[in-house]
Amino acid sequence: MTASTAPARGTSPLGAGPRPAAPLSRGRRTARSGGRPLATRLLGVVAVAVALVWVFPIYWMISSSFLPTNRLRTPTPTFVPLDGTLANFRTVLGDPGFAESFRTSLVVTGITLAAAILFAFLAALAVSRFRFRGRRSFVVAILVVQMIPAEGLFISQYQMLDGWGLVNHVLGLSLVYVAAIVPFTIWMLRGFVTGVPIELEEAGMVDGLSRTGAFFRITFPLLAPGLVASGVYGFLQAWNEYTLALVVMTDPDERTLPLWLQGLVEANRATEWGVVMAGATMIAVPVIVFFLVVQNRMTGGLVAGAVKG
Amino acid sequence: MRLARTTAVLALGTLTLTACSGGSPAESQEGTSQAGSDTEIRLWLNGGDTPDELREYLVDTFAAETGATLAIEEQDWNGLVPRLQTALTSAEQTPDVVEIGNTQAPTFTHAGAFADLTDLYDELGGDDLLPGFVEAGTVDDAVYALPYYSGARAVFYNKDLFAAAGVEVPTTLDEFTAAAVALQQANPRGAANFSGFWFPGQDWYNALPWIYENGGELAVQEGDEWVGGLSSPESQKALTEIQRLFTTGTNAPRDADSNEPWIPFNNGETAMFSAPTWARWSIDLPECNKGVDPEDTSEEAVALRAEQQACNEEKTGIFPLPGRSEGEPATVFAGGSNIAIPSMSGNQELAQELLRIIFSDEYQTMLGENGLIPGNTRLADTLGDDVYAVAARDAALDARLTPPAEKWADVEGERILEDFFQQIASGADVEQAAAAADQLIADTLN
Amino acid sequence: MSGPYDGRPVTAATPSMTVAPAPALPPGQSPPRGRPPLRRLGGYALIVPAAIPILVGLGYPLARQFVLSFQEYGLAQQFGRPAEWVGLDNYVALLSDGYVWAVIVRSVAFCLANAAITMAVGMALAVLMARVGRPARLVLQVSMLLAWGTPVLATMTVWQWLFDSQYGVVNWILAEPLGMAGMRYHAWLVEPLSFYAVATVIVVWMSVPFVVFTVYAGLLQVPTETLEAAQLDGASSWDRFWLITIPMVKPVLLVVALLQIIWDLRVFTQIYVLQRAGAPTRDTHLLGTYIYSLAKEFSMAGAMATIMLVLTLALTGFYIRHMLREEEL
Repeated sequence: MTASTAPARGTSPLGAGPRPAAPLSRGRRTARSGGRPLATRLLGVVAVAVALVWVFPIYWMISSSFLPTNRLRTPTPTFVPLDGTLANFRTVLGDPGFAESFRTSLVVTGITLAAAILFAFLAALAVSRFRFRGRRSFVVAILVVQMIPAEGLFISQYQMLDGWGLVNHVLGLSLVYVAAIVPFTIWMLRGFVTGVPIELEEAGMVDGLSRTGAFFRITFPLLAPGLVASGVYGFLQAWNEYTLALVVMTDPDERTLPLWLQGLVEANRATEWGVVMAGATMIAVPVIVFFLVVQNRMTGGLVAGAVKG
Repeated sequence: MRLARTTAVLALGTLTLTACSGGSPAESQEGTSQAGSDTEIRLWLNGGDTPDELREYLVDTFAAETGATLAIEEQDWNGLVPRLQTALTSAEQTPDVVEIGNTQAPTFTHAGAFADLTDLYDELGGDDLLPGFVEAGTVDDAVYALPYYSGARAVFYNKDLFAAAGVEVPTTLDEFTAAAVALQQANPRGAANFSGFWFPGQDWYNALPWIYENGGELAVQEGDEWVGGLSSPESQKALTEIQRLFTTGTNAPRDADSNEPWIPFNNGETAMFSAPTWARWSIDLPECNKGVDPEDTSEEAVALRAEQQACNEEKTGIFPLPGRSEGEPATVFAGGSNIAIPSMSGNQELAQELLRIIFSDEYQTMLGENGLIPGNTRLADTLGDDVYAVAARDAALDARLTPPAEKWADVEGERILEDFFQQIASGADVEQAAAAADQLIADTLN
Repeated sequence: MSGPYDGRPVTAATPSMTVAPAPALPPGQSPPRGRPPLRRLGGYALIVPAAIPILVGLGYPLARQFVLSFQEYGLAQQFGRPAEWVGLDNYVALLSDGYVWAVIVRSVAFCLANAAITMAVGMALAVLMARVGRPARLVLQVSMLLAWGTPVLATMTVWQWLFDSQYGVVNWILAEPLGMAGMRYHAWLVEPLSFYAVATVIVVWMSVPFVVFTVYAGLLQVPTETLEAAQLDGASSWDRFWLITIPMVKPVLLVVALLQIIWDLRVFTQIYVLQRAGAPTRDTHLLGTYIYSLAKEFSMAGAMATIMLVLTLALTGFYIRHMLREEEL
């Protein structure tokens, strides 16, 4: 632990602007890549192999979305849909409900994510950088809250929202989503804030930064990966949640995507599973887009390749 | 939204006043249309069972008769119960008329979720209404939920496989089991894992006819208590037969239920399956498949598809499951739904108007023409007289529902019967398994 | 505990730090004591935005659930029948039922096994992710994200298909290319142990991505300079990992492991869907699905929820105390 402080202070992030670590790590990488390229490459192969195994069920979903329903469950499985069809995707995209639900989901997820991340970030800051009466109770409370099974909560939540006229309203759904996501997010971010050695900030203060300045110039960038991880979590929760959306959004015009997908299952008396799989694939696309947009924050930026090698 | 609702309630108040002071039906009709012009009532229909044509008819007729607007909101069967648990308790959000599964109906009826329809009962069909469904919606002689439609199962079979195995269409339940066993042994096309009859281990719907035909019951009411009926000598006899069918008449997986039984049929892996008659549209035998692109709307493609459907229907036969004695269909399990007016609805009178339209001969006829057995049995003939309609009607007339116990939905929720028949399919001791299941059923119902 | 430190940022109070103590700060950055009222209020002000939605959206329903657990409250009560106070009856009914205890034991075993496997696999993959080149990392990340982010309705349907007795790919692969003819129509879900094995595969598959992303993010937080300094000091990469990296990501690891235990004890969707795919329901219930089967008796479900809370606290209490002490909360 002692060793860590010296270079941390030595770096003096202030002078180098927002990306002080970049030149350093680049230098390090050149120095090392000569040392063990083979090992890194082998690990790369392992990583890709794991990825392929992991993605297989998703591959199966996508492959199914190119097949007519009568080809989905046959004695010999179809591994590669060579003679596949885009008909299922055309059905999905031609369904006005898809665009509508897409918009609703986007709005709900947007509101939820923005509110949850901001609120949780502030609270995480409070519990890890401030001391105040009730802090410990607060931390324990938001942990305990997550231990209670929530299967039966929708009744009370519904009645509450109904009383405020927020049923079938994106704000109502967002409110219960924020409530569900924030406790977890505080805990996550708290871990990340605590993980940033306070010495770094103090070093900044020694170098003449205000406390707030030190926080935003030094600690905040180090929190980026944590914010991204929490953001991905929050995004997925809001994007894919089913039960609360089910009871809060009963109006077919206010459906979120998971409700729309369930509707596809029941649209015909004999389910067109190929269409359902195409629909699910379309729902997963924005998740990947969201991630690719934010992932640069996670891997790039100040902390690029921090532990490589 | 809230404002519109308030207006609606006020409008209804006016309507009631008008109706009271008016007296004659013509005047009250007029009153309705005045009040109705800015009133909207909402009807929840589930899944895709009610065809679009029928929905349009309801909306148009309702507008014409009342001047108010009918909004149909389609719900999914899958999430229906949580939605009803919440929305029906809210004066603001409740739909004004709901369709509900017949096994869910007793739970909500007993809970007081629905308005009393006893006064309307005779007007809407009275004793012509499917009795089992009426029973499911009745508490203490008051009727709260009426039958919407019913669907019974019939047996589909592959004619070529029957011919190749030298098996005739069975005319009694015993013959049916014998046919399944013979077909499976013959396996005319040498298919892998071939079944005479597709009978997965958790398919309790298709096991029930054996129980009913032998005089058994799932549960009977003795005084205030419900008692499981699987241990009775009648049921035991039935269960032994069912076990024989499981072990020698099918190779269907033990860990599956009655979902999508046409898939093995299309794959040539079974000679028979039992399903609602609309399954005809899912039959797609390889020997008939013309490989038409489903999106192709050219004349040629349409013709080919018709040819394909004709070929499928020619090669596929259908018969109602036969009963104990020759010529009588078995008592099978009926599924279907009830329709009711939530007690929280602020538009009771308009909702009742909608029920009058639904139970009119015109609408009931339309249900029948679309292959659904109408709630009013007097109009069962509207199903038509093709083989599917005949099989459906024969199966349906004698069909039965699950016991009308308040908590029957819990028995289904806990999947007691799925577990039980899976044990039978796995070769469990029939007596022991039945005793255990009876205990669980009694514990749940009381 | 807050007494003497009231209003002071944790910063100055952290004793393990060997760096510049507060007095060494330049006068401009006077020690926090300089602005106590603001500091004291600062903490509260920062938690208020989070506390409000939690209290409203979660706190109130939870409190109500707890109250209901002492009543008889079911569907009929929702439609206006008065709820009767029954004291501890619901708890007694549950805890005197041998079946409930069987479900509890099963759930705890399932939870611990799944949490352990998830953590082990997740940490290994996070380290792997941190060590490979950018293209390989992106492939792994996208694959994890797909597993995590695809609608559960679709992934669970696919998993059902994969383990289907008649048409399942798993059986096909075992029987055809691998020659295990006996597995061609194997029924995976009929035996509880085999059911739980399938459930574990699916639960781990769905949970690992979260662990990987979070731990990976934690690894990125470890300052490069720290590791380099250690390397200059002659620490091997193994030592650096265990002596520097792990301690530095420990807060994150603790949180993630704790959440895994909490979530796996409550596991619902995967079990529910697999049961409906053809498993013997009663033999495979875990706490999540069991509570759900009680759901029409809200008061019973509420009592069960309280019991689960106690159970979770018992399972994690040691852990939480450790965590709180470790971080001098």
